[in-house]
Amino acid sequence: MTAITLDNISRDYGCGIFGVRDVSLAIDEGEFMVLLGPSGCGKSTTLRMIAGLEVITSGRIRIGARDVTELAPRSRNVAVVFQSYALYPHMSVRENMRFGMKMRGTPLDEQDRRIADAAEILGLDPYLDRKPGALSGGQRQRVALGRAMVREPDVFLMDEPLSNLDAKLRGEMRQELVKLHRRLGKTMVFVTHDHVEAMTMGDRICIMRDGQIEQVGPPLEVYANPTNTFVAQFLASPAMNLIPARLTAAGGGLGITAGPLAGALPAREAALYARAAAEPAILGLRAEDVLTAPGPATLPVSGKVIVREALGAENLIGIETDGVTLSARTERQFLPAFGDQVTLHADMSQMHLFNAATGVAYPKGT
Amino acid sequence: MIRRALSHSGLVLACLIVLLPILWVFRTSLVPDHASYSTDLLPQPTLENYRVLFAEKQFGTNYLNSLIVSILSVVLSMPLAAMTGYAFARFRTGGKAARFATLASQMLPPVALALPVFMLYRAAGLTNSLTGLTLVYAAINLPFLTWILMGFFESIPEDLEGAAMTDGATRWGAFWRIVLPVAAPGIMAAAVLGFILSWNEFLFALILGGSKTATVPVALAALQTSNGVQISQVSAGVSLAILPLLIAVRFIQKYLVQGLSFGSVK
Repeated sequence: MTAITLDNISRDYGCGIFGVRDVSLAIDEGEFMVLLGPSGCGKSTTLRMIAGLEVITSGRIRIGARDVTELAPRSRNVAVVFQSYALYPHMSVRENMRFGMKMRGTPLDEQDRRIADAAEILGLDPYLDRKPGALSGGQRQRVALGRAMVREPDVFLMDEPLSNLDAKLRGEMRQELVKLHRRLGKTMVFVTHDHVEAMTMGDRICIMRDGQIEQVGPPLEVYANPTNTFVAQFLASPAMNLIPARLTAAGGGLGITAGPLAGALPAREAALYARAAAEPAILGLRAEDVLTAPGPATLPVSGKVIVREALGAENLIGIETDGVTLSARTERQFLPAFGDQVTLHADMSQMHLFNAATGVAYPKGT
Repeated sequence: MIRRALSHSGLVLACLIVLLPILWVFRTSLVPDHASYSTDLLPQPTLENYRVLFAEKQFGTNYLNSLIVSILSVVLSMPLAAMTGYAFARFRTGGKAARFATLASQMLPPVALALPVFMLYRAAGLTNSLTGLTLVYAAINLPFLTWILMGFFESIPEDLEGAAMTDGATRWGAFWRIVLPVAAPGIMAAAVLGFILSWNEFLFALILGGSKTATVPVALAALQTSNGVQISQVSAGVSLAILPLLIAVRFIQKYLVQGLSFGSVK
């Protein structure tokens, strides 16, 4: 049993400053949990608290059936992969991998076997006798992973391990980590501020802000149903379009006025958001839901092109109208010039609606 | 081309400014006293000055005394400085006050400490002993080395200890097995600086020592007699005094440069 349970854990720095505040989270055995959030949101602190490298001022942490709250890092049987890799610079790759096993008294032949296995899996065979200083970023990353693997820990904790790699290598390592997780089947907690990593790697993601959890769930579910404007904006690039809106009853249905957007909502959305009528609200539209052609549930919006990013496979277009900027992810053929006046079509069947005062999403279907 | 020649000339000139006095001291050590102020390069070369120093002036004993107290004081203070520096670097030990006190101790003029230490030593019977001199040098070195090592430890990423501790090491194990080896260049650099500090120290050696425990700086000062300064013998003594420093710096040049630039690059 190597599930992890965080029970109201806090890290209080005094003077009312909290790194993490009352965080409760249950990570299942064998799960790949991603802690996602902006800098300073407490995700790394949470990870370090699980590892035992950060003081827990209140709350309990259990790994499997063991309460590890008071245990030293060495007694928790967790392995940490750091953003800086934290390889021991005076030791060779082989010695780096051996260190943890030596500390735990693993027999020498068993140490050699595990090092050989990990080196084969990670392609580190040619580098075993090199010092970390003689390795590239990607190779160091693999050594850090190898060092964690050979320990055969209950839990892998990874603190932004891909953020020092270039974009191509990061993509490759992302896939390799997912493969590794499948192969090992161990519980992994992965900290990142990159929503792409979170979406592609996690079984579930836990989005944090200001030391607290905002939302936990499978990536696609969180993407489809963000609980508030923070999650909605953080989990995509470009961020979700948010426009102050007001819903009004109109002829048996529901009408919406949101900046330059105005018109009747589709019947399904009208029913979903009936309770929001007359309340100040925020309309949320993802960039991919702003289309270039009209559809059955779209509302037109015209504006001047102020952002134009041709990415090859697709374009990111930003238009401005009435002081509102709207981002759209368009097909590559649609590439207007800066300053052009264009009409886009907001797909209201994909809309999100948030309470303007609290930023909390109106639940769909209730 | 001309520019390059000019810059090289400048460098040669700078080197000469530094080297010439040292070379002239060495030259003077090889000539008789009456020829020491001559402008000739090497009139009547002789090793007589060295012979007199060792055969008549106990310079061998002085030299050995200096080596013993300098090496032992560094050996004694270094482990304590490493632990204190690490504690300052990683924990809130003593707060800012302790750090400031460490630095402030270096600001005191040595003579302000010399007399109280002499009184204490006299009461404890530690005057005129190498043990006493070693202890006082270790005490002088301790805050200095602590301050230097604190900087080195601060520049070592804390994640290294985090990795070691999750790998199964205790905090002490992480310090011993990971931090110290990684800080080795800094520790070597600090050790050499501490050695130089002790090797050159004069005031405490003069006040606390006696004829048997006189160190090289004291012995050199003693060559300034009522009959005048025996400049050739002083030069011979200075040439010998520079020797261990040259050897030490030569052997640890790599560490010294690494140590002094430690933390400047990631």
